[in-house]
Amino acid sequence: MTPKPLKVLVTGSSGLLGAGVAGRLVEAGHDVVTLQRRPSGVTGARDVQGSVTSAETVRQAMAGRDTLVHVAAKVSVSGPAEQYEQVNVQGTRNVVEAAQEAGVERMVHISSPSVAHAGTSIVGEGAGPADPDHARGHYARTKAQAELLALAADAEDFRVLVLRPHLMWGPGDTQLTDRIVDRARQGRMPLLGPGAALVDTLYTENAVDAVLRAVEAVDRVHGEALVVTNGEPRAIGELVREMARAGGAPAPRLRIPARVATSAGAVIERIWEWADLGRSGDEPPLTRFLAEQLSTAHWFDQRRTREVLDWTPRVSVDEGLERLADHYRSV
Amino acid sequence: MRLPAAPAFIPDHSALPGLDPAWSRLVTAQTVDGERTFHVLDTGPVLEAAGISPTGTILAVHGNPTWSYLWRSVAAATVRAGQRPGARQVWRVVALDQLDMGCSERLAHPGLPVPATAEESGQPSTALGYRTLTGRIADLDAVVRKLGLDVQARQGHRIVTLGHDWGGVVSLGWAGRNRDLVSAVMTLNTAVHQRSEDPLPAPLRAALAGPLLPGSTVVTDAFLRTTTALGHPSLTPEVKTAFHAPYTADAAPGTAAGAAERRGGIGGFVADIPVGPEHGSHAELQRVSSDLALLGRESTPALILWGPKDPVFLDRYLADLLERLPQADLHRFETAGHLLPEDVDITEPILLWLERAVPTEMDRVQPSPAADRAPSSWSDDQRPLWSFLDEWRDQDTLAVVDLAGTHPGEVTWERLASVVDSVACGLQETGVRPGDRVSLMVPPGRDLTAILYACLRLGAIGVVADAGLGVAGMTRAVRAARPQWIIGELPGLSVARVQSWPGRRISVRTHSAVVASGLRVEDSIYSMMDRHAAERFTGPAPAPSDPAAILFTSGSTGPAKGVMYTHGRLAALAALLRDVFDVRPGSSLLAGFAPFALLGPAIGATSATPDMSVTEPASLTAQAVAAAADAAGATIVFASPAALRNVVATAESLDDAQRSTLARVDLVLSAGAPVHPVLMAQVAQVFPSAQIHSPYGMTESLLLTDIDRDTIEQVTSADSDQDGVCVGLPVGPVRVAIAPLRADGTSSDTLLEGPEAFGVLGEVVVSAPHMKAGYDRLWLTDARSKRDSTPERDWHRTQDVGHLDDDGRLWIEGRLQHVVTSPDGPVAPGGPEARIDALAGVHRAAVVGVGPVGTQAVVAVVEPSPVPGVRSPRPGLADAELTRQVRSAAAPVPVSAVLVTDTVPVDIRHQSKIDRTRLAGWAERILSGGKVGRP
Repeated sequence: MTPKPLKVLVTGSSGLLGAGVAGRLVEAGHDVVTLQRRPSGVTGARDVQGSVTSAETVRQAMAGRDTLVHVAAKVSVSGPAEQYEQVNVQGTRNVVEAAQEAGVERMVHISSPSVAHAGTSIVGEGAGPADPDHARGHYARTKAQAELLALAADAEDFRVLVLRPHLMWGPGDTQLTDRIVDRARQGRMPLLGPGAALVDTLYTENAVDAVLRAVEAVDRVHGEALVVTNGEPRAIGELVREMARAGGAPAPRLRIPARVATSAGAVIERIWEWADLGRSGDEPPLTRFLAEQLSTAHWFDQRRTREVLDWTPRVSVDEGLERLADHYRSV
Repeated sequence: MRLPAAPAFIPDHSALPGLDPAWSRLVTAQTVDGERTFHVLDTGPVLEAAGISPTGTILAVHGNPTWSYLWRSVAAATVRAGQRPGARQVWRVVALDQLDMGCSERLAHPGLPVPATAEESGQPSTALGYRTLTGRIADLDAVVRKLGLDVQARQGHRIVTLGHDWGGVVSLGWAGRNRDLVSAVMTLNTAVHQRSEDPLPAPLRAALAGPLLPGSTVVTDAFLRTTTALGHPSLTPEVKTAFHAPYTADAAPGTAAGAAERRGGIGGFVADIPVGPEHGSHAELQRVSSDLALLGRESTPALILWGPKDPVFLDRYLADLLERLPQADLHRFETAGHLLPEDVDITEPILLWLERAVPTEMDRVQPSPAADRAPSSWSDDQRPLWSFLDEWRDQDTLAVVDLAGTHPGEVTWERLASVVDSVACGLQETGVRPGDRVSLMVPPGRDLTAILYACLRLGAIGVVADAGLGVAGMTRAVRAARPQWIIGELPGLSVARVQSWPGRRISVRTHSAVVASGLRVEDSIYSMMDRHAAERFTGPAPAPSDPAAILFTSGSTGPAKGVMYTHGRLAALAALLRDVFDVRPGSSLLAGFAPFALLGPAIGATSATPDMSVTEPASLTAQAVAAAADAAGATIVFASPAALRNVVATAESLDDAQRSTLARVDLVLSAGAPVHPVLMAQVAQVFPSAQIHSPYGMTESLLLTDIDRDTIEQVTSADSDQDGVCVGLPVGPVRVAIAPLRADGTSSDTLLEGPEAFGVLGEVVVSAPHMKAGYDRLWLTDARSKRDSTPERDWHRTQDVGHLDDDGRLWIEGRLQHVVTSPDGPVAPGGPEARIDALAGVHRAAVVGVGPVGTQAVVAVVEPSPVPGVRSPRPGLADAELTRQVRSAAAPVPVSAVLVTDTVPVDIRHQSKIDRTRLAGWAERILSGGKVGRP
């Protein structure tokens, strides 16, 4: 850790990653402010409640800070475009501008590998440049714009490092892990195609570690984006099977051909948008983006990431699965 | 049709992928008919701008209907190499577009091209203004002088020519006349001589057919399109378009010429092919070919790179070139054709060869490692291969016991020596000369032994390709070796006839005149035996440095390669068997593994060939071994693991007499592939008194290390932590070194030996007096395999990977090209595969990598053991339990995915070499979300 305690603002600290990062920063003796709509629940941090979409709130939270970890985002696979624009693009613009005004020296921006993904397989590639024109879906497109905004602000006195965690999972993760387990328990978790596509994932604790390392690394290396994963690609079918098993559910048996799923996803997605079903917070059961994600390979070259962050994941996939099983047994 | 003149121009490089605009320039030179402007690719200015001064110039000449675009890879590679810090050689590339071709000036022609007449002989142009061969060579000379290359050459600047197609003729023609300026010559597919008795290649016959000529070459773009369709694999549409670009209507800015008007040169070139003595360019081509022979006589360094899949420049033109340039280094790219620079990377061999063949003053003079170190006369401690035949020519003890084929029989030393002499006399009488290549299409047995030793004594080179290669593989091998003679039995000769193999034919038996003439057989071995019975062969004996044999590899990893052995090296192999494996003169060996059967007479051992099929080693039965061992009194058995497996499987039905015959065997040598300890234990039961050894080697070096059964059991005990298969300690004079693997899976240039090498994973590099002299007609492969050789010692890169343990024993862990490059470092498949193989329920496993080099994911592919009554699993992801077991067996190697399949593909010859390349392709496909299918 940097010898001098940092004054850090963590946005989006009600989520698993943001809360985890804020908590660990507090433990390490840093002065931590969090900004999110609900109470963060992070002991020892000062909560500012509000949205990144409000420039004024952001400015208040940023006062006196020297370090920014920007986690807040609208993460989903459906819903109207404007919400994504406001949170992901405008929200990022707000935090970057406020940070520059406040004299913040370093920023770790949390992005997503989907910002550079045009829908084809990713087999051992590094982090390509964010590309809003080819990103799939509102989430990926707006996150791509946000990443470009953050990187454009990179300077010697405002150092920006972007992390793109890929498919985070673990105890307490509601985005992916709980959904897979819930659907598997109901017998509704389909496998798309043969389930053999290799995907990289990231155990949540490793993600928190990586962000903490990035807070140090940004003083050495900045102005670039790094995909962060466990570096243990696994077949998607095996992962889903093992997560279901950890949740005490039977292995999924339902198989849908990948091509069928992709077009079905596209149709469902459009119906959802047209009927404005997203407003209630519900998500379509299958989107084209998700279908692609679950039927094509997505794994990355982690050499640059590990070199820059001087980090290797502490928790392996197998160990993570054991911890996940313990977690579901206890809840 | 009139074709108007048009100026030269700089092409629009945006549509010419791979071509740097900075290389394009126009050069106006004083030619035979005044000033003409050429478009020239010239890397000189780029090098100059980078502050680098070239040590030499590659003068490249394209053929018809290509243009200098053909040489873009050479231009790029030489510039790149020249900019490397510490580069000893810097090559400038000057590649002109010939007149009427590419982007060079178009001459005015009052009509479509017709062949030059005898009256026009020696003229630079035809009456219609088309350049002849004479004019083309003069044009090249004009450009050379305009650029001042001739002046530079006299000051020590090296000029090396490079040609392709008819550009080969032009460049070699110019080189032959300017021998004082030229340091070396290089050519790709070309021809400098058309023998009047040979037919013209079919595509040329078609293009030349009278009225068709202008139609197919000028009026339409048929010839152009036909040529650019010759890529292996096909050219990309962009590259094809680039080749066509200067021959299209809108090629040159500001000219109104139509496409046909731009193609006059294509027709002119075709019309200038001197088809017969009446053609105007015939005399000039004769001059070119005789000048070329002068380059041959002066031993000017020459490199020939050849794509055999060429419908025009057939192998016979290559043979002709080699006759004129016997000093030439040759590499045949078996998978490539006419458009060689598009099919393969020609820049690596060119740059490597130039470094060795054309040393600049700055270079330390390096003797070519290809030069054989064997002395030119036999020393006292060396035994020529035929020495026992000479010494024992009066003995009536057995030399050969032949139970293979339909006519089993025995031959005494006396008889064998006499037959070898008569056959040698007969071969000589028929016209076989020392140095001639003789393809031996004869199954193992006494005939093959006699013919081989006759060839050896005569100094002819025996070419031996295993019938296991199949007809296609054999054809490729025979075409590559291009023997002057084929000696065969009927089946072999029939295949030779049908496949039009090169070489004059000699049959083993004497056949009826009808059969003989149908197969174009000129003589027979049996007739030679009669004609020269009791005659002694007295011709001069070959020296140790003379080539003796070319053996072909199994071809399980690409086209089979010809491996050249000299007399000295084969004699060293025989000496090694005598000294290390105790195969003494007077002993008797039974060979179920072809190479060793042939060595018997050289060691002075009785060799017994059991009854088995040559192409299927697994057809050797215990009964056949017992029968042969009994007939020959054999105490030594050579066999491959596949053969031994079948011997074990058939041992049950041996009778008591046969059992006691096998109990007299005191040495079993299993060669060809490593033997599993379990199989060794089973072999030990069949041969209860025998020591069982498993030497390690390859076609390039047959015996390198050795391990016996006890040691195998000892080192592979349960607490062993070594990866791979132990093949034991180096034998006799063999040295084994390790070239450590780099992160990208290639092997480094450093060689480690002794304790320094212990525990280091790397490529196995060996040195031995009995290893190959070189690869035949594969200059690049040979140069790569010898990259560690020094003036004092030859080394051979085996492409096997492995390590030495703390006792110096070698462990083989797979092939270099199968190394998986995980982000944690290179992983050899052999170690984890052996541990997965040991799991119950696993029949065979392969470890492969998917993804980009340096960050590959490790994948295990498992073929489960068949369970009676249960259908083999559907190919795809393994179930949870198998996945868990395989991962923990493979540890510490991290396995990303475990796949199952119903069959892991293996090679035909040894049934043990896993086709990992194919498996990796399959794994990569399904693990990226593709269809599963089968490997």
